[in-house]
Amino acid sequence: MADKPRITNRIRELRFMHGEMTQQALADRTGVTRQTINAIEGGKYAPSLELAFAIARVFGRDVEEVFEYGEGAEQRT
Amino acid sequence: MGSYSEKSVWVQLISMVVVLGGYFAVAGAMMANGVMALPAYVPLFAAAVVLMVVVLVVGHLAALIGERLGGGAGSARSPDHRDERDRLIGWRAESNAAWIVGAGVICGISAMVVGAAPVWVAHLLLGSMFVSEVLKYTLQIVYYRRGMGGM
Repeated sequence: MADKPRITNRIRELRFMHGEMTQQALADRTGVTRQTINAIEGGKYAPSLELAFAIARVFGRDVEEVFEYGEGAEQRT
Repeated sequence: MGSYSEKSVWVQLISMVVVLGGYFAVAGAMMANGVMALPAYVPLFAAAVVLMVVVLVVGHLAALIGERLGGGAGSARSPDHRDERDRLIGWRAESNAAWIVGAGVICGISAMVVGAAPVWVAHLLLGSMFVSEVLKYTLQIVYYRRGMGGM
C-alpha cells in the first residue's frame, strides 16, 4: 500500500518566495478550495496534471520545479 | 473543520444515521411485535423522509453560515463549489460502498424466492441502501481527514 505521498512538492517554499502568498490566494487563482491546496502541501492529495500545471503557472515555474516524483514510488513501480 | 463540501458530508451522514436510524429502530420494534402489513410502515417512512429533508436543509444552512463566518465569504467561488479533490473523494467513496446495494438486491431477490414477507424484503432493500449511504459518507470523511496521497 502506498501510504506515503508519492509526489512531493515545493508549494510551501514557493508561496513564501511569492510574498507569503496565502493558501486561499493560491486556491482562488487555481480554482480549487483552500483545503485542497492544504492537502496537496501536506502530501495528502496528489493533484491532477491540469491542477499541477495551474499551480506551477501561478509561480511562473515549470511543473517539474514544483512537483517531484518520489524515490520510494520509483522503487515500487 | 474542512471545506463546505466536507461539512455537507457530515450533515448528510448525521441526518442519515439519526433519522433513518430512528426509522429502522421503530420499524424493527413494529416487526418484532408482528406488524407485517407493509402499508402500516408508509406513514412512518413518509415522516422520516420529511424530517430528513428538514434536517438536511437546516444542517446545510448552518454549514453555509459557518463557512461565511469562517472566511469563506472572501472566496470568489460559490459555497457549493466542488473541486477535483471533492469529486474524486465522492467517486472513490461511492465506488467502495455501492456493492452493498448490489448485495442487498441479491438478498432481497433471494428472500422473495424463499417466500419471505414483503415487509422483510422491503426493509432488506431499504436497509442495504441505508448501510451503503452511511458507508459512503463515512469513507468520504476518512478520505478528507486521512488524505488520498496514494491515488
